[in-house]
Amino acid sequence: MTRGLFPALLWVAGGVLLGFILLPVLGLVTATSPGGLRDAAVNEEIQDAVLLSVQDAAITAVIATVLGVPLACLLARRRFPGHALVQAIVDLPLAIPHTVAGIALLFVFGRTGWLGAPLQVTGLSFYGTQAGIVVAMLFVSAPFAVNSARVAFEALDPNVERAARSLGASPGQTFRRVSLPLAWRGILTGAVLVYARSISEFGAVVILAYYPATAPVAIYNLFLSSGLAESASAAVLLLLVALATFLVLRTLASGWLVAGATRPRR
Amino acid sequence: MLTVSDLLTRAGSFQLGPLNLTVAAGRVLVVLGPSGAGKSMLLDTIAGFRTPRHGRVRLDGQDITGLPADLRRIGVVFQDAALFPHLSVRDNVGFALALRGHRRSPKVGELLARFGIAHLARRAPRSLSGGERQRVALARALAARPAALLLDEPLSALDQPVREELREVLRATLRDLAVPAIHVTHDRDEALRLADDLAILDAGALRQTGPAAELTRRPTDAATARLLGWTALGPARQDTGGLLVGDLPIEATVLGNGATRGTVYYRPEEVLLGGPDRRSSPALRARAQVLEVVRTVPLARVVLGTTPPLTALVLHRDLDELNGEVEVTVPREALRLIEPATPLRKVTVELPKNHRAGGTSSEGD
Repeated sequence: MTRGLFPALLWVAGGVLLGFILLPVLGLVTATSPGGLRDAAVNEEIQDAVLLSVQDAAITAVIATVLGVPLACLLARRRFPGHALVQAIVDLPLAIPHTVAGIALLFVFGRTGWLGAPLQVTGLSFYGTQAGIVVAMLFVSAPFAVNSARVAFEALDPNVERAARSLGASPGQTFRRVSLPLAWRGILTGAVLVYARSISEFGAVVILAYYPATAPVAIYNLFLSSGLAESASAAVLLLLVALATFLVLRTLASGWLVAGATRPRR
Repeated sequence: MLTVSDLLTRAGSFQLGPLNLTVAAGRVLVVLGPSGAGKSMLLDTIAGFRTPRHGRVRLDGQDITGLPADLRRIGVVFQDAALFPHLSVRDNVGFALALRGHRRSPKVGELLARFGIAHLARRAPRSLSGGERQRVALARALAARPAALLLDEPLSALDQPVREELREVLRATLRDLAVPAIHVTHDRDEALRLADDLAILDAGALRQTGPAAELTRRPTDAATARLLGWTALGPARQDTGGLLVGDLPIEATVLGNGATRGTVYYRPEEVLLGGPDRRSSPALRARAQVLEVVRTVPLARVVLGTTPPLTALVLHRDLDELNGEVEVTVPREALRLIEPATPLRKVTVELPKNHRAGGTSSEGD
């Protein structure tokens, strides 16, 4: 009896949470007619917004991974003064409201910001540009790239890396031939999470780069101007696109297309 | 030749050394010590994975203390084999050669054949047994043509039959390799099978070093004696009639190492029951009741009613003759009087006069 009760409790608690996540999505999907979805799909404004979101989220995922992996490697493998502080800084974007993040980014990347002003002279502007969207997305999603890769590096057996060093591999060769292939799945998972977080970002983006409108901004505008039904169609379209790319990336991260996870024969 | 001089390493409150070691080319030094003695730390420091507080490591005359691990030409075989899980057996063995651009070197095939793992070439490390993994690790280390080899308890995670089989493979390999090799273990049998020289490490300090046979016969340190199979009988005291341990009289003159106080140690497998062996002169004689017989293998343990109690290890076929009271003798070479523990790192090292230069040596500091 006791053996059956505990799994049942797990299922009930898990089911409540799953229902909580699925019900609003179900509400959104059922509120959308096939016709409304077709209209949204052919609407150029929505098409551009969805494409912009996918594109910028993908760029953000690449940048977050390229910059996040070295930091993750340092955090996983080195003990240095201020280690805990660096980890706290990495986690900071997770703890602050995204509108606050947007305002903070304005101080740095806005037209008169610390970096925004000097860079504007070179022609690179962040306010109301695609670069601004990427900056906002990167700020809020970078912790996912760093933390996921850090966990992957921490899970590596240090003796495997030491074995490579004893066989004549330099630190760079050890990283490229051993650490990176073994941590690749975790790194890719981080990239997927960055992509997912970026494509859904609204708060920071709307403050730093209201135009060009990403999908969440366009859907919000549609909600204000045309009402719930039209915005729901666009929202379902974004949901489908995000889900499709998410599934593809998750499949990659699960291993069968990852170089580091190729299986020598048993 | 691999030389370690005045090496001192710290990790938290644990200190290893300062210690000195020399291992000549073609000789195998086995560092024997209990868990937590600092054995792996010693290898880590020699391999370049850990920076010493002070001291030098020299290989073939070159000071390699400041060199990174990849430039030291020191092969390491780890307890868990530490194979690259994303590479096949062949690619593991060929790793060092691939780094130098020799991706299809015939050397890999030779090593696979030599260690009997050619049929596993395309397999993944996770599908191998413990013994197979260590064979791959050994082949991988040798492929890099190391100038010295460090073995960090490579057999300790294996089952007994596999361990014994691989021990012989290892012994033959080390004989052929002709480079200095340091093998660390907590297993006495393994140590004595592989060692040319022994170094006893306990609590971060080198207690005694020298040729394996010499240390086994004549330990001068309590930790060394215990690790090499000697059993403490008890503290010795001077009496008008000579040396006593409890009620047992000891022929002090035949103990032979000049000590006058300390603890007497004996080898239980050398304790004779039922009369002395004519070939040896006993240092201890007594008559005692057989208190208990424990049928351990390969030798049974016979606990005797002496004060303090002696334990004898005897063949099972001789157990039937042990009834009631028996005559007990311990030959002189099976008794040692070991002085109270000298302060750590102040160990006087006993080396035989004919111990050839280039073997293992150690100095107190």
